[in-house]
Amino acid sequence: MSGEPESGGGVFGWLDRRYGLKPLVEFMRHKEVPIGAHSMVWYYLGGATLFFFAMQVATGALLLLFYQAGEHTSYESIRFITTKVPFGWLVRSLHCWSAHLMIVSLITHMFSTMMLKAYRPPRELTWVTGFVLLTLALGFGFSGYLLPWNELAFFATAVGTDSVKAVPGIGDFLLQVLRGGADVSINTLHRFFGLHVVLLPLATVGLVSAHLLVIQRQGMAPPLGHKVAPRGMRFFPDFALRDLQLWLICLIILTSLAVFLPYGPHIPGIEWELGKKANPLAPAYPGIKPEWYFLWVYQLLKEFPPHFFGMEGPQGALLLISALLGLWAAMPWIDRRAQRDEASPGFSDIGAAALLFLGFLMLMAWDVGGGGDAVKLPDPQQSAHVCALWALGFAAVATALRALFLHQRYFLFTGATALQIALHGLAGLSYLLAAAISLAVLAVGLLVLRARGQDRSEVKP
Amino acid sequence: MIALVLAALFAQAAAAAPPAPLPKPLQTLAEGKHKDGTPILTDKQREALQALPEHTKKLLSDAADSMILGSTEELAALLSLDVQPQVLDLIASDNCVLCHADPQNQKPRALFSPHPATSGSNPLLNLQEMVSDVHFRVGLSCSGCHGGKPTDDSMPKEIAERWPTAEVRHADRSWIPNFCARCHADPQFMRTFNPTMPTDQLAKYKGSKHGQLLLEQHDSKAAQCVSCHSVHGIRSAKSRNSTVNPQRVPETCGKCHADPEYMKGYLTAAGAPLPTDQLAKFKTSVHGQALLVKGDLGAPSCTGCHGSHAAQPPEVAAVSQVCRRCHAQNGILFDGSRHKKVFEEHGWPECGQCHGHHDIQRPTVSLIGNTDDTLCGKCHGQYSRDDPKCNETALHFRTTLDQMIAGRESATGEVEKLAESGLDIEPVSRSLSDLDESLTQSKSKVHSFDSSTFDQAAKPGMEALQKARQEIASAHDEYRFRQRGLVGAICFIALIVVGIGLKLRELERRRNETKP
Repeated sequence: MSGEPESGGGVFGWLDRRYGLKPLVEFMRHKEVPIGAHSMVWYYLGGATLFFFAMQVATGALLLLFYQAGEHTSYESIRFITTKVPFGWLVRSLHCWSAHLMIVSLITHMFSTMMLKAYRPPRELTWVTGFVLLTLALGFGFSGYLLPWNELAFFATAVGTDSVKAVPGIGDFLLQVLRGGADVSINTLHRFFGLHVVLLPLATVGLVSAHLLVIQRQGMAPPLGHKVAPRGMRFFPDFALRDLQLWLICLIILTSLAVFLPYGPHIPGIEWELGKKANPLAPAYPGIKPEWYFLWVYQLLKEFPPHFFGMEGPQGALLLISALLGLWAAMPWIDRRAQRDEASPGFSDIGAAALLFLGFLMLMAWDVGGGGDAVKLPDPQQSAHVCALWALGFAAVATALRALFLHQRYFLFTGATALQIALHGLAGLSYLLAAAISLAVLAVGLLVLRARGQDRSEVKP
Repeated sequence: MIALVLAALFAQAAAAAPPAPLPKPLQTLAEGKHKDGTPILTDKQREALQALPEHTKKLLSDAADSMILGSTEELAALLSLDVQPQVLDLIASDNCVLCHADPQNQKPRALFSPHPATSGSNPLLNLQEMVSDVHFRVGLSCSGCHGGKPTDDSMPKEIAERWPTAEVRHADRSWIPNFCARCHADPQFMRTFNPTMPTDQLAKYKGSKHGQLLLEQHDSKAAQCVSCHSVHGIRSAKSRNSTVNPQRVPETCGKCHADPEYMKGYLTAAGAPLPTDQLAKFKTSVHGQALLVKGDLGAPSCTGCHGSHAAQPPEVAAVSQVCRRCHAQNGILFDGSRHKKVFEEHGWPECGQCHGHHDIQRPTVSLIGNTDDTLCGKCHGQYSRDDPKCNETALHFRTTLDQMIAGRESATGEVEKLAESGLDIEPVSRSLSDLDESLTQSKSKVHSFDSSTFDQAAKPGMEALQKARQEIASAHDEYRFRQRGLVGAICFIALIVVGIGLKLRELERRRNETKP
C-alpha cells in the first residue's frame, strides 16, 4: 500500500490503463488526518458508525432470506429465524444490537463534531448531511420496530404514528399515508417494510456517499484556530489500520452482546424479545415505551398540557421539537464565532446543556424512582424528584470536569437547564413553567454577559 | 348543487333553532321556586326536561294539569332519577307512583323518594330502586300487587280489602310466599312475561327448612321471598345489583346466617346451636375466592350446594352428590375405591370428610402420606394403622407427586433463564405442558386410592419430565457451544487487532529509522 503502484503489468496496470487509477492512488497516498490538541479518538467515530451501518446491511440481507412480510407470516418468520434457522438468533441479535450501537456512535460522533466546532465553514454541508443521516437512522429504527408484528411493536407504532396527527393542516392526511389507513394494520407493516429495506437504505447510501465525498474533498476539520493542522497522520495506512482495529474491537463488543444478551438488556426501549403476536383487537396495555432514542420526544409530549396557547398539546410539543431540531441543523450558520475560527464557549455549553436536557427527559421517561409495579402506575412527581437529583448530580460532576480538565468557564446554558430541572423536579413546578422561568433567567444572563462583554472572554471551547 | 347548499343551510337553521316551549302546565311546574326565591330545578334537570321526547313532556304535563304530579320537588325527584324517557313514560302513566312520589302530598312513611335516607322516608320506598324493579319494567306496577288501577285518581277501597293490614303483615309473614305464588306458581300467567321461568318455587319452598319454619310453625324470622329478593327493587338474578346474583348470594344468606343474635335458638339436626361462621369460612375457601375475588360465576355460592328455594340442611349423601356436579371424575373414582364402603359404614360425608365444607381449601400434596402430619396418616392412624398396602400406596402417591412438582418448579426456573439467554424453549414448554396436564390428572386419580389407576396418569407426566430435562440439558449444551464459539471468534479477531497494532508499530519504527 505504501509502495509505488505498478502501472505496467498485473491487475492494477490493466485497470489503470483503462480507468486511470493513478491520480486516485496519489490522492490516497497524500491524504492526511489532522492531529490537534484534542484526542484523535473523535475522528474514529464516523468510521465506527459506518461499520455498524455495514453490519446492518449485511445482517439485514441475511434476515431478508427468511423474513416474509404479512399478517400471517411476519411474526411467524421471525420466530422461525430465531428458533429454527442455524445462527438465525445470532443474525437477528446482531442486527438489533448493531442498530442501537449505530445510533449511539452516530450521536456521539455528532456531539463530538459539535464540541470541536468541526461544522464551521467550509464544512456546513458535512454537518447537514450528517444531521439528515441521523434522521434517516431514526427512521430505520422506527420502521424496523414494527416488522416482527408483535404486541409491543404494534402498540408502540400505534402511539408513535398517532403523534403525526399534531402536524397542522395535513396531520390526518400524513397519518393516513403513514399507516395506510385510519389505524395501524398490515398495510402499515407493508409500508414500513418498503421504507426499511428499499427507500431508507437507498437514501442512506446516497447520503453517506455525499457525506464521505465532501470529507474526502475537504479533508477532516483541523483543530480550531488553525487553517491547516499543525501535524498530520497519513490516512493510508496509519489511520485506515487504526480504523480497522477499532472496527474489529466493535465487532468483538457487538458479538459478545449478541451472544450474552440476545434480546437486549431488558430495559424498556432497548429490548426486542418477540413476545406475543400483535392483535389489533386487543386493548393496549400501560407502560408501552418507544425505543430509547425517542424517549425524550415521548416524555416531552407527556409534559405538555392538553391545550397550549390555542394549540393542541401535542402540536405545541411537535412545534418545540421541530424548532430545536431546526436550530441544531442550522448550527454552522448560528455559531458566528466558530465561523470566524474563534473559540465559541457558548456553543460548547449548548452541547453540554442539550445532553443534560435529553438525559433528564430520558430518565423521567424511564420512570426512574417513580415506584410502580405490575399493579400500580409509577408516581410522575416522585420520579421527577429522583431524576432531578440524578441529573443535577451528573451535571455537577460534568461541570467540575469541564472546568478542571477543559478549563471551560462558560456554563450559562447548562446552568439554565439545571435550574429548570431543579424547579420541576425539586420545587414541583410544572415542566413548562420551569422551562419558561429558566429561559427568562437565561435571557437575562445573556443580556448581562453581552453588556459586560464577558462573552468575549478568552476561555477555550 | 344549489339545492344541496340550500338543504344544508336549512338543516343548519333547523339544528340551531331554539327548543320548542314546554306545555304550559309543565312549564308552570318547572318554574317553581324555593322559599328563598331560588329555582327548584337545577340547570341540569331543566336541560334534561327540555331534552325529553314531546310525548313524554305531554304525559308529564297532563299529570301536572290534573295535579297528580303535584309539586316541582316531585318533578325534580323524577328528573334526578336519570332514567331513559321510556321509564319516565311508565311513571307518568301511573297515578300510584306519581301520587306516592310527591313529598308535598305524602307523609314520609308512604313517600317514594330517590334518597330515602336523606328525605327521612321509609327505606323500603326507594324510588330509584322501584324504577329498576323487574316487575315495573314489564309494566306490573303498584296495582299488580296492591290492587286498584294505575289510572285511579284516589285510593280505591279494593286495596284495603285485598292487602293485609300492617298488623297481619308484620305479625305473621306466612302470607308472603302464597301472595307471590299467585303469579309465580301460575305457568299460564308467567308464560306471558317469561316462558323459560320456572314456576315451582312455592312447591320447593314448602319442602325447604325455611318454608317449614314459616308455613308450619309460623316463625316469621324464617326467610321468605322478600328476605332474599327484596321488595320494590327486585331485579333479575343476572343483574350484578340483584341480591340473588351468584356473587351476592353469600352476603344475602349471611344477613341472617352470619348473625349470631338472629340465629340464636336455631339448632342443627344433632341438637347443637346452628353455627354462624359459614360466611366467614366461605370467603376464605377456594370456592369463595373464585366466586368473590376472581369473579368466576362457575364457582358455587351457598345455593350451589344447599339449593335456593328448596334450601335444606345438608345430608351426608346429598353433599357428596353436590360436589360430583362439578368434580364428577373424582366422584366416580371414589365410588370405585376401597374407601367408599368404609365411609358408608362410618357415615362420613365423602368429599367433606377430607376437604371440609364451607372452608374448603385448595388441596395440596401435603395432605397425602403415611405419617401423622398428613391427612391420610391421621385418619389411618386412628382406623387402619400399619396396613402395609395403604402405607405403600400413600407413599407412592406422595413420592411421585413430589417428584413431578419439584421437577416442574426447577424446570420453570431453568426455562426462564434459557429464554433470557435467547434459546428456543418451545420444545421444553410443550413437554412441561404435558407434565402439567399429567399432574392435574394424577392428583385427581388419587381419589381411586389405587396405585395402578394413579400410575396411568402419572407415567406420562414422569416421561414428560424426563423429556423436559433432556431438552433443558441440550439447550444448555447449545448455550455452551455459543459461548465457546464466541470465545474462539473473539480470540481470532483479537489476534488480528494485535497484528495490526504490531504492523503500525513497525511502520512507526521504519519511519523513525528513515528520518534524517
